[in-house]
Parts: sequence; C-alpha cells; structure tokens
Amino acid sequence: MKISYRWLLEFVETDLPPAQIADRLVNAGIEVASLSPLVEGLSGVVVGEIEAIERDLGVTAAGHHIRLCRVAVPGKTFSVICGAPNAAPGLRTAFAPPGATLPGGRAVKAAKIRGTVSEGLLCSEKELGIGDDEDGILELAADAPLGAALIQYLGLDDTILEIEITPNRPDALSIVGVAREVAALTRAPFRFPQITVREGETEAASLAAVEILDPDLCPRYAARVIGGLTVKPSPPWLAQRLRAVGLRPINNLVDVTNYVLWEMGQPLHAFDYDTIAEHGIVVRRARPGERLRTLDGQDRALSSDMLMICDPERSVAVGGVMGGGATEVTPTTTTVLLESAYFNPGSVRRTSRALGLHTDAAYRFERGADIEGLREALDRAAQLMADLGGGTVARGVIDVYPSPRPRPRVTLRRARIERVIGACPPQEEIVRILQTLGFAVDDSGEELQAVVPSFRRDIVQEDDLVEEVIRVWGYDKIPSTLPRGGQLRPVSHPPDLLISRAVTRALTDAGLSQAITYAFVDPGRLKAMGWDAPESLIALQNPISIERSVLRPALAPGLLEVVALNASHQIPDVRAFEIGHTFAPRREEDGDRPAHEELWLGVIMTGQRAPRVWHASRERVDVYDIKGAAELALHAAGTKPVEVVPYEAGQGPRYLEQGRGAALLSGGREVGRFGEVALAVREAFDLPAPVFLAELSLTALLALPRETIQYQPLPRFPAVQRDLALVVPAEVTAGEVEAVIRGMKLPLLRQLTLFDVYEGDQIGAGRRSLAWSLTYQAPDRTLTDREVNELHARIVAEIGRRFRAEVRGA
Amino acid sequence: MAGDPRVQDILDRALADIAGARSTSALEQVRVRVLGRSGELTALLRGLGKVPAADRPRFGQEVNRAKEDLEAELAARLVALKAEEHRQALQAQRLDLTLPGRAIPPGAVHPLVQVQDEIIEIFGGLGFSVAEGPEVETDYYNFAALNFPDDHPARDMQDTFHLSADTLLRTHTSPVQIRTMKAQRPPVRYIFPGKTYRRDADTTHSPMFHQVEGLAVDTNISMGDLKGTLELFAREMFGPGVSIRFRPSFFPFTEPSAEVDVSCFGCGGSGCRLCKQSGWLEILGSGMVHPNVLRNVGYDPEQVTGWAFGMGVERVAMLKYRIDDIRLFFENDLRFLGQFAS
Repeated sequence: MKISYRWLLEFVETDLPPAQIADRLVNAGIEVASLSPLVEGLSGVVVGEIEAIERDLGVTAAGHHIRLCRVAVPGKTFSVICGAPNAAPGLRTAFAPPGATLPGGRAVKAAKIRGTVSEGLLCSEKELGIGDDEDGILELAADAPLGAALIQYLGLDDTILEIEITPNRPDALSIVGVAREVAALTRAPFRFPQITVREGETEAASLAAVEILDPDLCPRYAARVIGGLTVKPSPPWLAQRLRAVGLRPINNLVDVTNYVLWEMGQPLHAFDYDTIAEHGIVVRRARPGERLRTLDGQDRALSSDMLMICDPERSVAVGGVMGGGATEVTPTTTTVLLESAYFNPGSVRRTSRALGLHTDAAYRFERGADIEGLREALDRAAQLMADLGGGTVARGVIDVYPSPRPRPRVTLRRARIERVIGACPPQEEIVRILQTLGFAVDDSGEELQAVVPSFRRDIVQEDDLVEEVIRVWGYDKIPSTLPRGGQLRPVSHPPDLLISRAVTRALTDAGLSQAITYAFVDPGRLKAMGWDAPESLIALQNPISIERSVLRPALAPGLLEVVALNASHQIPDVRAFEIGHTFAPRREEDGDRPAHEELWLGVIMTGQRAPRVWHASRERVDVYDIKGAAELALHAAGTKPVEVVPYEAGQGPRYLEQGRGAALLSGGREVGRFGEVALAVREAFDLPAPVFLAELSLTALLALPRETIQYQPLPRFPAVQRDLALVVPAEVTAGEVEAVIRGMKLPLLRQLTLFDVYEGDQIGAGRRSLAWSLTYQAPDRTLTDREVNELHARIVAEIGRRFRAEVRGA
Repeated sequence: MAGDPRVQDILDRALADIAGARSTSALEQVRVRVLGRSGELTALLRGLGKVPAADRPRFGQEVNRAKEDLEAELAARLVALKAEEHRQALQAQRLDLTLPGRAIPPGAVHPLVQVQDEIIEIFGGLGFSVAEGPEVETDYYNFAALNFPDDHPARDMQDTFHLSADTLLRTHTSPVQIRTMKAQRPPVRYIFPGKTYRRDADTTHSPMFHQVEGLAVDTNISMGDLKGTLELFAREMFGPGVSIRFRPSFFPFTEPSAEVDVSCFGCGGSGCRLCKQSGWLEILGSGMVHPNVLRNVGYDPEQVTGWAFGMGVERVAMLKYRIDDIRLFFENDLRFLGQFAS
C-alpha cells in the first residue's frame, strides 16, 4: 500500500524525515518495501502564463496547430512553440525554461522548430510524469503564483512509502492508521481528522430506507443521502493525492469514496439514488439463480451464501466486494446514496474468491473493517461530496446496527510480560504505549485493564497486549539469554534420518552423487512407465503445471529426469541416487496421516562406469553395477542379506525391461528391486543409452530385523582352497547352483566365491562356464587331503546330478 | 710361518673374482666355485685326512679362516651388488609421478542435505532432538491447530497446494510441532527438518523447498532465551563475528513474532551485493508459541511458555555458497552437485 508522506503529516505532528519514519515502522512490524520521491527527475519547471499567441506556424500531420506563444514569468518573457490545442492566452501552465529537466533525464534546451527558436517547453501531465493526460498542456488555476516552482505549488514534493501490512493489521491499511502507529512510535501527537457535516433540512430517513435481513453477514449498515450534486472532475489537489498513491481519478463523487477509503480505511460505495427502486436498500443473501452485472461489466452468477445489497426488486451490489453496473454513479447523477457498512470478513473472503474479484474493498473487509469507525468515514465522505459537487447532505444518518458489538476488556499483568519476554518496560511506558495505540487504559487496580478499540480486531487476549507493548517499546530491548535449568534428556534422531544418513554416506563414498528431485511428477510420463490406475495416484488440485501435478509414486521418474537433464547438458555418464518420500493413497496403517508415505532410496546409472583416464579402459555400466549399489546400500542400512529373485515374464514394474530385473525379497516381502530400464520408458524420457535403476524401501528395511555385529573367533587351523569349474546349460543360474551347494549344509565349507563366468566359442553355444573357489576349514583341527577330497567329490556329484553340468578339472 | 700356498692361492683368486663380480649371479658362481659342496676350499677341507697329523690343526685353522674371510667378502659384495642391481632396475622402469593418481572419485552429498545436517548438528549440541512428519497433511495440522482461522487472509501468506478439500502438501514443517507436542508433555526441545511446499516459483522461490524449524517449551522460557539461542546458532553457522536483530512480524502461530536478521557475513554489515546494501540478511522467522497453539495441543499457557523458529534451508545454502538461482538445487546437474563433494 502506498502512503504519501505529506498526507501522513496531516494526522501526525512530526518533523522526522521519511527515511526515519520508515525505519521506525520497520522496527515496529510494518515492512517498508520502498521509499521514493513522488516525482522523479523533474526540476526547474515553473508556473508560467501564456500572455499571447504570437504566430501560427502551421498544422501538423495530426492536424494540430503549432503556435508560437509568449510565456511570461515575473520579470521575463519567453517565446515558446506549443502544439497543444488548449494553449490559449491567459492560461497558466507548466513552463520548462531552458535548463529545466523532465522525467527520464530529458534536459530542456532552446531549440529550433520549423525555423523558429523555442525558448523552452510547455508541458502536459504526461511530460511532467504526474499523470496520463497528454492531450494538452497542464491547466493551472488562474491564481497560481507565476514563477513558483511547480513541484512545490502542486504539492509534488512528496515521498511515497510503499508499505506491506500483515493480515492481522487491517487498521494500518490507511493513512490515519499508519499515522496512529507513527505517533505511538515517535511520541508525536496524533490528530484524528476533524469531521463536521453541514446537513440540509430534509431528513435522510424520509428519502431512503435500509433493512438488513442477514445480520450475521452484515452486522451494521449506515447510509447518507447527498442531493443537488454535479458530477465533474475532481479538483487538482484531490486528483493529485489519488495519483500519488496509485489510484486513477474518475470524477468528484467516485474519487471521494476512494479518497476516504485510503485516508480512513473504510470502503464506501456511492449509489445513484435515483436508480434504487423505492429508494430502499435490502441487505440479504443472493437468491437461487440470481445474477448481477458488476461495475466491471461482467455478468456474475451468484450463489446463495453470497451477501447482496439489493433494492426491493433486484440486487444492486455484491456486499463488500463490488457494486453493480445499473446503479453506479454516472455523469448525470445528482443524488447519491452513500453506503458505509461492516461485512462479515469470512463471508467477503469466500465471495471474493468465488467470484475472482479481488478489490480494495474486499481486501479490507476480509481482514476486518472498523465497525465503530464507519460512521466517521461516512460523514467525512458525505461532506466532501457536498463540498466538491455543490450539493447538500440530507439530515441524519440511516444507521442499522441491531446488536452493537461490545469492546473487549483485556487484562495485562507485568509478570506476564516479564515471563514471556524476559524483561518488562516501566509501567508508565506500558500505559503510554497502549493509550497512543488507541486503547482505553485503567491502571488503577492490581492489574492493568485495557479496553480494545474497535479497529483492533486482532487483540483478544493478554499476550496480544504483550506483543503490542514490546513491539512499540522496541525488540532491541529484549535481552539475550539462554534457557536455564531444565531436565537433561538424551538427544534422539528418528530412524528415518539415521538410515538415510548411513546410506548417503556409503553411496557418496562410492562415488555416487545425491540428487533431490521434485515430489510432483508428470502424469504422462507416469503413464508411459506403467501407472495407468489414477486411483493409485495422488493429484494436486492446483498444480504449477501439468508436468508437476501428481505426487510421485516412486523415485524412478525423478531420477530418469536427472539422467535426461544431464544428457541435455552433455553429461552422458550419471551415477546418482535420491532418498525421499513416495506417496500413495492412505492405508489403514497410516492412522491420522492422510496419505501413505514411504521413504525410498532410488539409484540410477548410465553411461561409462568411470571417467576416461589413462590407467583404465572404458566400460559401460551394466546391471551388475546397479545391483552392487543396491547391495552396498543394504549393507549400509544394516539389513540382513535379502533374497534376489529375478522377475518372471509379466512380473515386476513395467518400467523395467522384461527378464532384466529382479526383486529384492525379505521374508517373502518385496523391499526393493533393480534392473534395466525398459526401452519404451527410455524413449519417453528421450534417453539413448541403457539406464539401470535400483529402488529400495528404507521404510521396509527399517521394519526388518537388524543385522547386529557379533564377533566370531578367528580360525586357528589352516584353510584348504579348491576350485569348482562347471559348464552348464546357459539357463542355469549361478544362484541355483549356489543354492544347491548351500542346501547340502556342509559345516566344513566355510566360503563359496564365484570368480569366473565365461560364455563363448571355447565351450559352444547354449552353455556357460562358471567357476567357484571353495574354502574348507575346521574349527578344531587341520583338515586332511582325504577329508577335503571326499567333501569336494560329494559336491561335484550333487551338482552333476542336479544340473546337466560338466565338471572341468575336478 | 708362511701359510699353505694352496689356501693362499684359492683365497687370492677368489678375492679377485669377488671384487670383479658384476652381478649377484656372477658372485654366486664364485661362491659355488670356492665354497660350494664341491668347491675348491671345501675340497681342501675334505682332504684334511691326508694332511700329516702334526700339520692338521694349523692347516684346518688356515682353511677355516680363509673360508670366514671369503664369506665376509661375499656378503659385503652381495649387499653392494644388490643395491646396484636395485638401482638399475628402478632406473629401467622410469616413473612419471606427475601422472594423475588412480582416482577414487568422490560422490557429493546434496548441498541442501549438507546444510540441513549442519543445522541439525548445531542444535543437537544444544540438546535438541530431531522429529519428522508426513509431507501430505490435513488442514487441521497445517493450519487450524496452528491458529490459522478458516477463511482468514493469513492463509494467503502460504500459497497452498491442495490435494482435496481437507488435505494438502504441508506449507511448513510446523505440523510436526503439533504432532510432537500432542505426543508428549513438556519439556520439549526439538528441531524439525523436512520438505515443504508452496505454490510459488521464481529464482528465489521453489514450489518444493526445505525447512528446519525448532521448538522449545518449558516452564520457564522467554523471548530473551529465543534471542540468545538464535544468536548462538547464527555464530556457529555463519561465523563468530555475526550479530542478529529482531524485527516485529506476524505469524498466526507465534506471539510476539519476530523476523530475525543476521548481520551480513559477506561484508560484515557495511553493505554489499549479498545483503542488497542493507547490511542484514533475513534468515529466520520466530516467536513465542501462541497461547492458542499451546491450548490446541493440551498444554496450559499459564504453566508453560515456548518459542519456535523456522528457516529455509535453500535460503541459508544460497547465502552460504552464493547461489543465485534456487532451481539449481533441483535440476541435479552433476557439474553443480560435484562442486559440493567433500
């Protein structure tokens, strides 16, 4: 909200410069976003009078006459060329002599136009940077002092404070409200505007009537009638003030409502009295199917929870939001019914949002207007209208206020201030602060009592007063202390955080980078990845974009985006991971949590395993890299070994290539998976090279029994190593062979390590060679060759029996 | 008495050959020739029986002395030759120690996680535990319990992503404060890290971002303690020279509320680009827990008071690392992430 420094000074007697006022406001909780001179770059422009038109210099292409004017300032005259149609002898206007500067850094010099020298420039509003009018030169009053600096004469030597008011302080959304703050902060006297109404003979009550049918949404409605008015442009001082705070002058009647809104914070509405049927106002909820064409020309469908201002025949305004087109003030209006009311804040907010109408009036009403102060604003505006429109205010106010709201009394204890703040201002300072903020203070008893003014709806309990006192006293006076005493308690960290840290450390130490991707993903890409049941997904009602509109059901989509982004930045090799929540509809086990969230780890790899270096040949990552990363993460998570079960055809997520992925199972439950990303998915993300993905539910891992480290005595007797090399049909997996060997439960077989895999010409198509190193060891003796040979032969025999295996070099 | 000429002869020739040996293998040949199983000196010892009995002890001594001398010479020469051979071997395989080492490329912990962990660490040292909570929340936990009335413009302060009439993406981690307080009695000392969401996107606002909030509730805790604690935090986080400043503000869930500025660690407070010439950096929001919030979780505001604060992890990381576009955190360009490897 823009505040004019000069306007402010009407209500607070201070000589502090704008910068210091801004500083005080900031330190009391009113943010000042900027501080700028009202008119920038204007200097040397004075009030001049066109004494005579000396010569016509012809007509421009646009059809304007260009004329040479004799412009007078005290003691001197200038010959100035001007193309404005309103240039006429006797007009006092803005004259920029050579040496003056205009906004935008334009320096005025004597210049030759059409062969004639112009000694300066006569200026329009637009050229002066004070308005939009560029159709003619600025017209000043006939008594404007010749030679006076224009900025001072027009009151343009002003500073504009752009302030930001938090939603709890609607009372500060006005010049008067800010002035009250400044007064409290600087101890300068506050001057509430002097308001007197000179009323005519006719009783307002005989001219109009008001009835409130829904007092829950409109507890008070006051109105005055002003007759005999003439609609015309506002006088320059008023138009200038409105422009200074960013409002566009329209006509004297409308401008008065805006002026009083800005000055006192009370939204007002002026109806053309003659358009109101039976001159009767009825305040009620909208009827089913009712419509209204608002001031902005839109035809609005209304719903029955919206409060309408009506006459006996139809609705004429959306209460507190916007007036209707049919009853607005027009150039022919002569009588105005002026509304000053209080509307229910929640109702105005709902209505304004439903209609998408965010007006200055609604902004204030939804924060809470001043139910007591609305009469003063009504009086102020009525008198101004009568003054500026040459009319008369009818006698009396039509004021419907069925249940006047009591002003709350709030107790404030010094001990409470001391306890909450850790310090307390002197009692007389507390009293002064509250009084200057508008509270009536009773300090006679044990505890101070404050009666809350009607404009401070935010003050309802003791701590509200504590804040008011301390805010004005100064936050810099709050001491800096540390909490005392208290119980010692062990610091605890949630398991989610601990497992995330352990996995992060392991994976980053292994050279992977940690990514953080958005939790909302593209439903189109999800569909391409196989999520085709919308009921399993959670969608945002108001997403930023469709690409970020569904909560991620897995980390895979985000990680694929990481690969895609890096690919587009010429980074083809990616080894990255993310730890984050996935989202699914709520399940029974989620209790009062509205969605099912799980913590997952996702790992993604593509491109070369290592950067190009002198000591190694380059190799592409493959599915065993991703499996290794998953195993490392499982180990870091402290999980007991899990079962790896390759997905059968048709099993597993659709974003993994058929036959190239496996589930990680614990106790029969899938806790994760890894594999190669399906070609169709890669194409959806525009990824040319193979991509490998692993996913682990850290939430599931946390629910598993933890692997605890337990010391095993070191073997005291030597181990014996034997190799087992097999050629088996290609479909036999290493896991199957190992399962058979382990299934034999040989206590002396301590270790089984696969060390070679070969497929190729030497053994023929459809077959592969697998070789293990077997370690035999006994805890209590040295094994003999005979014992080992016998064990090894049993293994060879069992393998031979179970698989069509050919044992090599046994 | 002159020595036996045969012994002397063997000794002289062997010494000469040892001195002349150019390699450990040549030296070994000398050793075998003289001291081996059928070596010259060995043969003399074997023939000791044929020596007259009177001469036998002297002759034996002589041969043994010669043998000892030779063994000593051989050993000394062997050390010298080994050293020489090692030197030559090293010379043969020349190294280029300016070649890059076999890299163990480090991965990077995401900068936001690093900053978040640093904050957790500092408050951990002050006795603050960590609690986490769901990112999808109900209106109650995110707003109502935190003293945001229905249909109040205060809700506009946090532009919300809605999932249904009653559920939303949490706009702050404050709902975890409510969940934590509802689950236990005071004293409470927690910090709450986590992802938060607001419908806002430009170079300094991300629709998803991270917060760390803190909460202390006890029988005797004041806004002065809040100031002191945050001062301590700011010095740990941004350097011992920084100071802080409280400015009044408004949050529905605290009263009094304060914005907390930290003196600019880029310029020491004199004004620079980082602080937009103001000398101060706005880092935290904070305040005394609103009595209505305490009542909502079943605490008695006459018995306990508390304070809370919150900060954006991205904001802190952007200041700390001088990052000027918040979107970099979520693009995950490896050249960006790689700068934070340690």
